[in-house]
Amino acid sequence: MLKKVYISLGVSVVLFPLFLLLILSFGKQWSYPHIIPKEFSLVHWISVFQLNSTLPITILKSLVISLSVATIVTAVSFFSAKHVSYSVHRKKWLFLAYIPYVCSPVIFAATLQFYFTYTDLSGTMLGIIIAQLFITYPFGVIIFSNFWNDNIKSIEQLSTTLGSSPVQTFQKVVFPLSKSVLLLCFFQVFLISWFEYGLTTLIGVGKVKTLTISVFQYIQEANLFLAALASCLLVIPPMLLLFINKRFVFTNQQIG
Amino acid sequence: MKKLFCSLFIVLFFACGKEKKENAFDIAEASWKEITAEAKGKTVNLMMWTGDPKINAYINTYLKPRVKEKYNIDLMVSSGQGNTIVQTLMTEIQASKTESDLDLVWINGETFYQLQQINGLYGPWTSKLPNATYIDFDNTFIGIDFQQPVEGYELPWGNVQMTLIYDSDKVKKPPMTRSELLDFVRENPGTFTWDNHFTGLTFLKALLIDIAGGKESLNGDFNEEKYKKYSAELWAYLKALKPYLWKKGEVFPEAVAPMHQLFASGELWFTMSNNDAEVDNKIAEGIFSASARAYVPDYGTIQNSHYMGIPQIAPNKAAAMVVANEMISIEAQFHKQDPTVWGDGTVLDLKKLPNTWQKKFEEQPTRKYAPKRSEISKKALQEIDPEYMIRLAEDFRKNMIE
Amino acid sequence: MKQTRQIAILYKVIFVCLTVVPVMAGLIYALLYSFGIIGIMNNGFTGKYWIAVLLSDMFWVSLGYSLYIALVSITISLVFALSISLFIKKRNITISYLFYIPLCFPAVVMAFYSFQLWSKSGWISRIIYQIGGIKEISSFPDLTNDTLGFSIVFTSVLMIVPFFTILFSNLYHSEKLHELKKVAQNLGASSFQILIKITIPVLLKRSWFTICLFIIFVMSSYEIPLLLGKQNPQMISVLTMQKLQRFNLNDIPQAYTIASLYVMITIFVLTLLSIGGIKKRFITKRRAYA
Repeated sequence: MLKKVYISLGVSVVLFPLFLLLILSFGKQWSYPHIIPKEFSLVHWISVFQLNSTLPITILKSLVISLSVATIVTAVSFFSAKHVSYSVHRKKWLFLAYIPYVCSPVIFAATLQFYFTYTDLSGTMLGIIIAQLFITYPFGVIIFSNFWNDNIKSIEQLSTTLGSSPVQTFQKVVFPLSKSVLLLCFFQVFLISWFEYGLTTLIGVGKVKTLTISVFQYIQEANLFLAALASCLLVIPPMLLLFINKRFVFTNQQIG
Repeated sequence: MKKLFCSLFIVLFFACGKEKKENAFDIAEASWKEITAEAKGKTVNLMMWTGDPKINAYINTYLKPRVKEKYNIDLMVSSGQGNTIVQTLMTEIQASKTESDLDLVWINGETFYQLQQINGLYGPWTSKLPNATYIDFDNTFIGIDFQQPVEGYELPWGNVQMTLIYDSDKVKKPPMTRSELLDFVRENPGTFTWDNHFTGLTFLKALLIDIAGGKESLNGDFNEEKYKKYSAELWAYLKALKPYLWKKGEVFPEAVAPMHQLFASGELWFTMSNNDAEVDNKIAEGIFSASARAYVPDYGTIQNSHYMGIPQIAPNKAAAMVVANEMISIEAQFHKQDPTVWGDGTVLDLKKLPNTWQKKFEEQPTRKYAPKRSEISKKALQEIDPEYMIRLAEDFRKNMIE
Repeated sequence: MKQTRQIAILYKVIFVCLTVVPVMAGLIYALLYSFGIIGIMNNGFTGKYWIAVLLSDMFWVSLGYSLYIALVSITISLVFALSISLFIKKRNITISYLFYIPLCFPAVVMAFYSFQLWSKSGWISRIIYQIGGIKEISSFPDLTNDTLGFSIVFTSVLMIVPFFTILFSNLYHSEKLHELKKVAQNLGASSFQILIKITIPVLLKRSWFTICLFIIFVMSSYEIPLLLGKQNPQMISVLTMQKLQRFNLNDIPQAYTIASLYVMITIFVLTLLSIGGIKKRFITKRRAYA
């Protein structure tokens, strides 16, 4: 019984932000000391979709960018991490990955803008994807470096000793073991890319618009209700994505 | 391994070989007819501040379709304020790019000054535009930007005056002078502040001009002696205000938007805006309560214009000019000045317009919650040299924040 | 065999390209700019920006303040994460989903939410007013844009707790703490002793590197202090961006000075950590065998 109380308490703490933001997004005039806005209307939601008639295209573009980044990073960093983890200099390699991982993205972006402009990559989708790789790839390597441990190594060796080819070992042994960590990495990288603002605006020069860039301006605006709406637009898609996939993401999570 | 590193560098930086487009079209020599012909079918990338839904709607639902229909020009909007524009163009110049990502930029005096420092703007070009003949360049609030003559390097687009906004339910008699303001905050501590950005600085500039003796007292180039003398008085005055400001003057809202939010929720009784039409817009949007009012104190507020500039290396200058020309057309300016659309003041000289349009402008409904433009412009102050602003920003930090 | 070696080299090349090259390229650019060698407003080599930054309080105060915010945020987060993960030992899908939901909130949204919650005119102040706790808006304490950084810490804690909760409960399983606990119980240890002497030390020791990384993370945060912080003291990313993007173009080299200093300090701290990390790990391993 007590446990149920704690869990519902947890649920409310976690869901309250979304709840408050949703309420505000439908509000009009919220002066002190009213707990909820005076009036409710759909006007903000309607205006956002009317003014951004290109919103579906923007969402599509954001999806393309985030899915590409997540796919590339998950695939490439998975194997990179293997070579890094099995290397004698494992620590040194990982150290190199930690630097961009902890760097402040805005500062990082400010120092890299020149190179993207120089190579004419600024203002292109490719440029944005490359820029996002710089911050997500090290993250991927770090996630997977825990997966490629001695345990996996010995399982791989065992499989080879028992006569399976490298391809078979991967397909039948390593891949099934790595499913959940692969999904975890994919999802997290997707999120980083989906939310990335500072780097993406600088490199995109406003030409390539992601959903985050399109709605970010509302958050910095005087209109509290539009800001709340924009926040909902940002938060709900990944929540749904996570909800749909929760069975895949959370089963057998302990591995890795 | 070393070889690999080297080749990597080379691949990374030179993989995308630069193609230079040969362009035989010389825009400086071209006639307007040739310019419009060249502009057809091009895409213009306009970078502008997109923080106001009404302004965005004006661009997206009015201007965009017009230039598409008339000239087959695709107008693309990138979002970016002055500092983003400067940063982008600076980086492009540094990377010796031949073609900018931007064709047209929405700027005001501080950005104009910064872009002139780095030779970022193309010009002179505004005299080429047929509609420029209607512009009131003789008006010192339009033809001179932060004491710098625009000289054809930027095209006036709109004209606004700063107003203070207050809640008439809570403030019965808004303070009209510096000493009234001091008395007011003493009686009502924590209800007044200004932001730590452009709008707040514009407010400080008005106070500085007032201290220096009012209108035109600081016109001309930056004067170190005057600045030292009057700014010392300004800091003394602000320090007297400080303990009674919002959060005891230890922190200021980072920009005008958070200040509006604090005003809307009732935490502040005052906010301010560089756009005299904003109070009506915000009430219409349901952000401010209907008791919000705009006013200009007796010491006056700064009136200034905002402009369109074309980057030195903009790839589609002709199309940018055609779009700019459309922006200052009589119809577009009239529509823009409508308080239900945006309420931005026109830069056209009404005396130069055909009679029918003069009448239309005169009969245009005005805003409800701010005093008439003609009324507040009596108390309008001119922008002062940008150096004043840089120094004020620096010394504000030193004297008031640190 | 040759092919496998080539593939290994290929992956290492990719690794270098995506980690070392951008960091070095960025650092070189920032350094050149800060010494006046590049930059269109600069006229040749000068050390004046470095001297200005190193000798002014601004940078050091900002660094110290960032460290303070990070240490407080992480300490509070660890307390919460440890309690939650020890409380919920068995996880089901719903609870896991719950932990992951906060990860769907970007920093800027969390900061916005905290502001709506804790400002003087925020939601909590309104509730307290309605139940008669305060008589007027100004009686509510300053919890946003305050010197102690209350709301910055609150927001950071909201964002960090789920991470560490997931980490600790994974460690709880992978370190087989449950079995260790049973052994200790059989040997007569009380639950409190087990908690203090075994569970918490093992969890913290195994995650201390991650904890240090998160301290650097929080120190670098930008969106949260931008909305919830003060103009003085400022956190380091906010300071850098302010120097980079404000009215005075002559401040830009100083911004790059701060940026390169910060990146170099980060690299230095990471170096110390990873040297320490190798030693520490060696010790824990030896202990496990002993």
